[in-house]
Amino acid sequence: MNITVCAKQIPDPANEITYDNGLISRPEEQVLDDTDRYGIEIALQLKEKYDAEVTVISMGPAGTQKGLQQALQMGADKTLYVDDDSLRGANSLMTASILSELAKTTNADIVIFGTESTDGYTGTVPQQVARFLKLDCISYIKGIEISENVTLTRQTLEGSEKVVMPEKCVLSVTAGGVEPRYPNFKDIMAAKQKTVEKVELASLSMNASQNLEFLDIEKLENNKNGEKIIDEGEAYQVVIEKLKELKVI
Amino acid sequence: MKTLILGEVIDNKLSSGTLEIVSKANALGLDFRVVTVGSSDAPVIGSSTFQQTYIKRSSESLQFSNIADKLSQIIQEENISLLLAPSTYQSRDLVSFLSVDLSSSPVSNVINFEIKDDSVITTNSINGGESIYKTKIISSHSLLLIRPKSFDPIDIELNSEYQTIEVEDSSVEIFDIFKEEKSGPQLEDSKIVISAGRGMVEKENLSFVEDLANKLNAAIGGTRAIVDAGWMPYSQQVGQTGKTVKPDVYIACGISGATQHQVGMKDSKFIIAINKDEEAPIFQLADLGIVGDTLNIIPKINENI
Repeated sequence: MNITVCAKQIPDPANEITYDNGLISRPEEQVLDDTDRYGIEIALQLKEKYDAEVTVISMGPAGTQKGLQQALQMGADKTLYVDDDSLRGANSLMTASILSELAKTTNADIVIFGTESTDGYTGTVPQQVARFLKLDCISYIKGIEISENVTLTRQTLEGSEKVVMPEKCVLSVTAGGVEPRYPNFKDIMAAKQKTVEKVELASLSMNASQNLEFLDIEKLENNKNGEKIIDEGEAYQVVIEKLKELKVI
Repeated sequence: MKTLILGEVIDNKLSSGTLEIVSKANALGLDFRVVTVGSSDAPVIGSSTFQQTYIKRSSESLQFSNIADKLSQIIQEENISLLLAPSTYQSRDLVSFLSVDLSSSPVSNVINFEIKDDSVITTNSINGGESIYKTKIISSHSLLLIRPKSFDPIDIELNSEYQTIEVEDSSVEIFDIFKEEKSGPQLEDSKIVISAGRGMVEKENLSFVEDLANKLNAAIGGTRAIVDAGWMPYSQQVGQTGKTVKPDVYIACGISGATQHQVGMKDSKFIIAINKDEEAPIFQLADLGIVGDTLNIIPKINENI
């Protein structure tokens, strides 16, 4: 079985996001999106059952490849990535098109995603890839039970529901469903020997085009300059008075 | 501009997210019809003011790609050029599938839009509402996923008059359907919301928040961190990936205010924040900020009201 996990390198979320002409500025050193750790964890659990090969695929400025290394350190077997200047500002459909083509080169049976990236938050790429690949899409997975079958729990608006994982499908995984593993020193050293391969954009077919034109970005002044009180034991009274004033009590 | 609004059913009625979009479509004078997808048997979703079509899905089969096929067909046959959908699980799946069929990348997290010279211009709130981002859509189909609470819902009488379409089952069966019990005021429509974050330190301390919520008849929310930690069900998550709330009063207890959380609550009318860390970003949004230990302050409030 071939399992492919789509992962994204993003600017360290600890730093403030900056924009350049409507696009997120991407430093040389980017990290693995935390959201992707859940997908990789599920891939690794499936690998243990099926003795599968886990390939991480990625699109975007590769830079120092730190994020890709982090994926390999967790236990993925190899990485394929596309990094091409012409993809700068690619919309979600273009991204999904490229990732679908990359997934085809890995002969993927199962393609796994986080539900949405921490920097872009569009949250549509997993489903778009499923549609491009004409595979069933099991979205918003928040739990996995591996026994004879693989049972996936989906988050729904009102609660949850379960499905048995089809032999070929696309999964999107929410944060919190599984506990991503932390690599130890041995894993970190082993990752350095693994394959990180750049795939040329020209070798893939692109089945989408840019239909979104950036117009404007405007920073809002969020600071309300509200009243701020340091509690010295009596601040609860201020809250109660305010709740009375607001006619909450 | 011929428009299709993708509706949803909640509690056997048209969801508030759908009613918000209908209200905006009316305000813009759009020529629209509604196609609603749900699994209820006979929801009350019809209206004398617009054409409603109900795609009834089976709750025991994952049919979304078949439903997308049906929607694609309607969009092509009816020459629809604008698709508006609430940003929910179901609609995100459907709109994403449709974007491939229609070769048009959707715009997610839309909080407003306008039509100018036959083009759709969208406004997004990014970085937790820190910035506003404007996009012009250049394609024959414009697909928008709209954040809840972006517009005021329309107040209309609903009926049971609409056409119903059924779609074929897929090979993926659904089982063990679980519905979370709803009790007390619900996040989306409560006038007062009290939310908890990591600053509550441990799950047991949520009882302080629950006591206060009972006294104020408030709904309880939480940050992604505590929902991921299993302290609260996902349905109570406030933020980018959870719910958007706009109560009269929002009380943030032990919440630092990551942008992810801010986007779900920043439009609340009056925000009270209690947090130990004076530098916490939540204080920038707060009308009243208390720098102190939530675990001391909330019990004292409870004892004195």
